[in-house]
Amino acid sequence: MKKKWLYLLTLTFAASLVSCELDNIDAPSARLEGNVVYEGENLNVRSNSAQLELWQDGYALNEFIPVFIAQDGSYSASLFNGEYKLVRKGGDPWLPQLNDTIIVQVNGNTLLDVPVTPYFTIKNEAYSISGNTISATFDVNQIVDSSVLQEVVIVLGESVLVDENIQDAIARYSADTINIDSSTSLSIEIPENMRDLEYLFIRTALKSNSSNEYIYTNSYRLEL
Amino acid sequence: MKYTLLLLILCASFATVSCNNEDWLERDPKNIITDEQLWNDPQLITSLLANYYDRLPTFHGVFNTGGMTEIDDAMWSGHFDQNWRNDFQYGYDYGRYWDYTFIRDINLALDNIETFSTEIGDEQKNLFTSELRFIRAFVYFELVKRMGGVPLVTEQLIYDFGGDPEYLQIPRSKEHEVYDFIYSELETIKSDLQANNGSQTRANEFTALALESRAMLYAASIAKYNNLMDTPINLPGGEVGIPAEMAKDYYEKSLQASQSILQDGGYALYDENPDKQANFYEMMMNKGNAEVIFAKDYVNSLKTHGFTFENIPRSLTEDNEYPSNLTPSLNLVESFDYLDGGEGSLNITDASGDPIVYEDINGIFANKDARLYGTVIYPGTTFKSAPVKMQAGVAVWNDSDYELLASQDLGSNYSDEGLWTGADGPQDNTQFVSNTGFYARKFLSDAPGASLRGVASENWWPWFRLGEIYLNAAEAAFELNQEGVATTYINTLRERAGFPENSITDLNIEDIRKERRVELAFEDHRYFDLKRWRIAHEVWDGDINNEDAAVFALFPYRIVRPGHPDNNKYIFNKFTPTRFRRARFFRLGNYYASIDQGVLNNNPKLVRNPFH
Repeated sequence: MKKKWLYLLTLTFAASLVSCELDNIDAPSARLEGNVVYEGENLNVRSNSAQLELWQDGYALNEFIPVFIAQDGSYSASLFNGEYKLVRKGGDPWLPQLNDTIIVQVNGNTLLDVPVTPYFTIKNEAYSISGNTISATFDVNQIVDSSVLQEVVIVLGESVLVDENIQDAIARYSADTINIDSSTSLSIEIPENMRDLEYLFIRTALKSNSSNEYIYTNSYRLEL
Repeated sequence: MKYTLLLLILCASFATVSCNNEDWLERDPKNIITDEQLWNDPQLITSLLANYYDRLPTFHGVFNTGGMTEIDDAMWSGHFDQNWRNDFQYGYDYGRYWDYTFIRDINLALDNIETFSTEIGDEQKNLFTSELRFIRAFVYFELVKRMGGVPLVTEQLIYDFGGDPEYLQIPRSKEHEVYDFIYSELETIKSDLQANNGSQTRANEFTALALESRAMLYAASIAKYNNLMDTPINLPGGEVGIPAEMAKDYYEKSLQASQSILQDGGYALYDENPDKQANFYEMMMNKGNAEVIFAKDYVNSLKTHGFTFENIPRSLTEDNEYPSNLTPSLNLVESFDYLDGGEGSLNITDASGDPIVYEDINGIFANKDARLYGTVIYPGTTFKSAPVKMQAGVAVWNDSDYELLASQDLGSNYSDEGLWTGADGPQDNTQFVSNTGFYARKFLSDAPGASLRGVASENWWPWFRLGEIYLNAAEAAFELNQEGVATTYINTLRERAGFPENSITDLNIEDIRKERRVELAFEDHRYFDLKRWRIAHEVWDGDINNEDAAVFALFPYRIVRPGHPDNNKYIFNKFTPTRFRRARFFRLGNYYASIDQGVLNNNPKLVRNPFH
């Protein structure tokens, strides 16, 4: 009887030693992070829209790693150390550069700002409230000559994630109301159901005819 | 010794028996059909073809309820578990289709019929071959619609084990080359398919022409409208994008195919019932009617579908669970014009924003296009000659305006003894009852037991019908500046829907597009129409306030205002249903679905679609 227990214990112990060996691949420990920038400034996008692609050569089968860009223009990816290729793909509010791959050596925590060429930029935004109207002042600059400005929108939301798709109020302005390469002032009325809030979030965005994604200003918390 | 003799005799007798009959060893196996047997027996070939017809691809057609809620003018009101259908974004792989298994099966069958069919007549052989080629053209059309130009494989690809598979790696054809292939195939086989003329479930001459009419129209509109975009969607190798100068030729080919069907096909718009509303419904349901060119048939004893079970209004179901999944949107209802020619918006509130009071619950839908009744079940109508009990609640007058009160209990009475919330809802934020105020009627079978899972429905799915051919012809003629011809086609179709003669005099492209939307709702057209006109990204722009992109609801309320003339009359409330969470958002990268990475890895000659 005693002997049987001893066998059983030994066996269990041995099994535990073996099973640990099987899981011999470490979780990815390196990290690649940075921002999508133009002339050193972050570009802001819709959350869950813009993507970068990461590729790693040297394996039989290729499969890219999609890297989503957060709405403030930052991105990050957990990776293994090694050499990766980073691709700026189409469909975003900047020029695709499919053949102009950025080669990045990931080693531990690696910082890399990805330069892109937006069709337009929108910046230096300032907001002011008077009564139930918010007026937004901002600068629009054209970067890519062939592109044509289509629309500017101002969006309001109750949470920090706000864009043309996720919003509680939106005001649309066509291109002819916008001064390109100088300052423009537009306004949005706060809808009735948001007037009693303590604060709301506001973003201004523009769309060109070259992409159906807008390029945004950062989400700004406005105390009411 | 005696035994030895006996043994010898026995052995000798065995030898005489076993040697004599060589046929005995040459028997055909009972569990394998050889190629020689199959390809020389018309009945076996037909049953093989039945399998291939059954595999004809569709995106969200053929009674795919869930898919229809994603791309048609409707939302999902079924189980909460599937509410992602009201809250998702089209991924770049949405609509991906890459069925080269099927293409290979067809190519293999074509080779075998050539090799093994020796005992059947040439005419029959040509018919089978042409049917297979029709199915192959149909599959290539589905491929090019969703993926753009694809590798054109027309024979079996067999590896020679030589170590170099490069000769099997076929690059993508140009988008227009695939359409040209479809055209030339159909032109070649259409005369051989004449033997099937009269059949509505096997491909015949006019089925081939119907596919030609549709495919050429798609090619033409891509050629025209892609190049009118601010940034046309092209690939440098032409795998995506068709040159603008090809548009005219494609429109002409489409018009020609449509006109041969209209003139020589012997088909007619279904117009049997003087009640135009019921007539449109019956047109989809009555099998064998002269409008349907090609259909996928169902029969209770063999093969059924669950569309009625899934979508029947809640109170009419014969089963015990899961009804009312597909519920059409207010926007679809409003896209049906008024019979007097007025634009179809419903009069819900007056100029000052007060609700308009209606005597009857269906008063707001009076004088609409008869196809509305045939497509949508709206409040105050019947199904299976039973009333559909739709009323969202009561509107109680509180001395300044109406307070809208809904009950949690379907079919309950309010304190004035009148109906509170109907047995069919509508109710907001619930499952298995309409969340939009409407139910689907098109394709919903009224046969006994059709909504029972154990019996299910046997109504058929029309792939092609004459109504679409009229629309194809009208669009192609309009694009070729034959406005007069186009107007006649559109007006003929509208007369069947209850409009007076010559209801449209000044036709424009928007009229044609709207006509397609209402005539062909839920028939797997809308998504591809928006794509080929290159307006999908504008119509489905992701804005929750945009009625084209988001689903809106319209709920009827009974007025409770004792002593007032409006008491027990009805008002309507329009709003966005709680369960509809995210507006349709179609990005430029959705015009062509992405190719699977595994496919790209296997064939390095394939190029990716734009934006992927």
